[in-house]
Amino acid sequence: MKKIIKHPRRLLGVALTYIILLAVAFVFLFPILWLVLASFSKSGSIYSFKGFFPTDYSFDTFVRLFTDTDMYNYPRWFANTLFIAVMSSLLGTFLTILTAYCMSRFRFKSRKALMKTTLLLGMFPSFMTMTAVYLLCTQFNLINQHWGLILIYAAGAPMGYLTQKGFFDTISVSVDEAARIDGANNFQIFVKITLPLAKPMIVYTLLSSFVWPWSDFILPKLLLKNKDLYTVAVGLMSLDDTEFSRFAAGSVFIALPIVIFYFALSKFLISGLSAGAVKQ
Amino acid sequence: MTAKLRQFFVKIGNGCRQWLAHIGDWFKALPARFAVRWHTFCDFLKNANGKVAASCLVMGLGQLLYHQWAKGLIFLAVQAAMVLFFVFVGAKGLVGLFTLGTVEGNAWYGIEGDNSVIMLLLGILSVIALVLYAVVYTANIRDVYRTQSAYDCLKTPPTFRKELSSLLDRNFYKVALALPILGVCVFCVLPIIFMILIAFTNYGGTVVPPRLIDWVGLDNFGKILTLSDFAPTFFRIFGWNILWAVMSTFINYFAGLGLALLLNRKCVKGKVFWRLFPILAYAVPGFITLIGFKFMFSYGGPINYYITQSGGSAVGFLDIDAKWSSRLIGLGVNAWLCIPSSMLLATGILSNLNTDLYEAARVDGAGNWKQFTKITLPYVLFATMPVLISQFIGNFNNFGIFYFLRGGLYLDGYFLASDTDLLINWLYNMSIDNNYYSIGAAISIVIFIVTSVISLTVYVLSPSYRQEDTYQ
Repeated sequence: MKKIIKHPRRLLGVALTYIILLAVAFVFLFPILWLVLASFSKSGSIYSFKGFFPTDYSFDTFVRLFTDTDMYNYPRWFANTLFIAVMSSLLGTFLTILTAYCMSRFRFKSRKALMKTTLLLGMFPSFMTMTAVYLLCTQFNLINQHWGLILIYAAGAPMGYLTQKGFFDTISVSVDEAARIDGANNFQIFVKITLPLAKPMIVYTLLSSFVWPWSDFILPKLLLKNKDLYTVAVGLMSLDDTEFSRFAAGSVFIALPIVIFYFALSKFLISGLSAGAVKQ
Repeated sequence: MTAKLRQFFVKIGNGCRQWLAHIGDWFKALPARFAVRWHTFCDFLKNANGKVAASCLVMGLGQLLYHQWAKGLIFLAVQAAMVLFFVFVGAKGLVGLFTLGTVEGNAWYGIEGDNSVIMLLLGILSVIALVLYAVVYTANIRDVYRTQSAYDCLKTPPTFRKELSSLLDRNFYKVALALPILGVCVFCVLPIIFMILIAFTNYGGTVVPPRLIDWVGLDNFGKILTLSDFAPTFFRIFGWNILWAVMSTFINYFAGLGLALLLNRKCVKGKVFWRLFPILAYAVPGFITLIGFKFMFSYGGPINYYITQSGGSAVGFLDIDAKWSSRLIGLGVNAWLCIPSSMLLATGILSNLNTDLYEAARVDGAGNWKQFTKITLPYVLFATMPVLISQFIGNFNNFGIFYFLRGGLYLDGYFLASDTDLLINWLYNMSIDNNYYSIGAAISIVIFIVTSVISLTVYVLSPSYRQEDTYQ
């Protein structure tokens, strides 16, 4: 502390840093705070608000959200979304990590070609193919089936392997070589060395492939025609304008699991990984 | 300044020349490579014995003659499955791909006609099956030929068990990649091929099953570029689309990196606490935020409440005539949505960066800015270049922002679109809302060509591609 006070220029820098941080925090927090407050509003419509703040507060909206399920069965939508997101996240992460590892560590003949192909495929806007996916699903009987959605999400996940590959590229190969001298084969190296080192990346992959089905609305809207099978996203979109506080309350509940999820796992995400590995 | 600018263009020129030289080299090497192939093939014809010929005739037969029972039976089973598939489904599918159906259905007379769309899909599936068959067939011949060569050199070929165990080691990638590739083929490649083919048909409008669909060649592309309905809209949307993609990618990437660096400073106490806010924003699903922001800028929303309270009249931020205010709001909202994730990514990459480098730089007397431009930026750019490209493409095709903020708006001077719509929104308006399937497919091909040219160029020019092993 003493050191900082001695240098006025550095003090200015610290002050500026904190001012920027405060501004950033405000910008990101405020819209969310607004929605949370709105969910505690007594009246449902946005026109009864005083600027950003509701006139009266109560818990009614939350109670109605979970009890008044005749028109809008929120608990059911929530369970559906959870099932789809968890399943496709697990499957998708498995496929993505495998793909990224192979692309990073193996040098095989068709590797460059495969990489360019995935890059090209990634350039097709995903729902440009929606009509085709829809027709395919009718052929394979996947309409109104949660497994259909899960398969589509998970199968598409390896296309985003580049982030993970970039990460594997930055893990030094010298550990692998050491293990190979000790007689390990590539499968063992992958399971026993690369995977533990890649924990932060696995968590990142799990999170990001969970968030996508959790908040997607296009695909469920196209494939789920039965109101009981809706995901939260489609369900909330079917709410009309006078139900603004119900929409806000429902939104608070979908945002909650991801926030918890993140905080439970955040240390994996941030901490450096090559601490115990060979330094470059 | 001008010197720097000139240097920049020289650099780009050099990069392009290098790339072209790269392609040129590839073509130059082609005859030589072909000659090698041809030579090997001639050798193969000369040397192959009867058992190899047996495998050429029926997959797996040669292996069985060499007493490799397990492998032979597997190949034989694949052969049998393929024959059955083509007899019952494949042959019909291949024919259907060309005709797209010959009998038009008519409910009145009770004729169950051909469904062109289904026939198209089956046709594509059959072609994929045919390609797969060719791959397995070549693998089969190669395998038996390798066995023969081993015996010719008086060596014993590897046992079946040994070959299986190589699948966990040298060939581990074959096992590991099989499932991802299969999934991508069925759920990504197949629909894409389907859409590409649709662009060359007259599918859409009134021409939907049970009516028969026909191939029309390049008509749809001609319509986009020349027809007075489509062409002006196309070029207007296209210009805005490019501007949007460049601006939003730039803002999001550098704001995210800046935020990560700011949080990485030693003087910042409670990093976890500060990081919490962007993470919160990241955790809230996009469509909620978008609907929320739409409410915020609406006539009854909070911002207009304060404007009217202080005596002004309500502003229609997202109205029909509010071109630039909606565009700016779109950029802002997109930044709000995307900065957290690009910050997270930058944080992860930075945590993997060797801090010794900074130590060394400081000893050498490098200032903060120099450390940033000479160490941090090259490293982060190297590690995230592929992500940067996919972010660019993601922004180019950012459907959600203007769908929620200003969806369903059709303006004068635009055909089924508004002045904030991106190509992807136009595509959606055309094909999902108004059934112009084939025109929509043609637009998506244009989108594809544009994005692929841009990003492949960037990718090939980028250090991640040229010096892949530098940082290992």
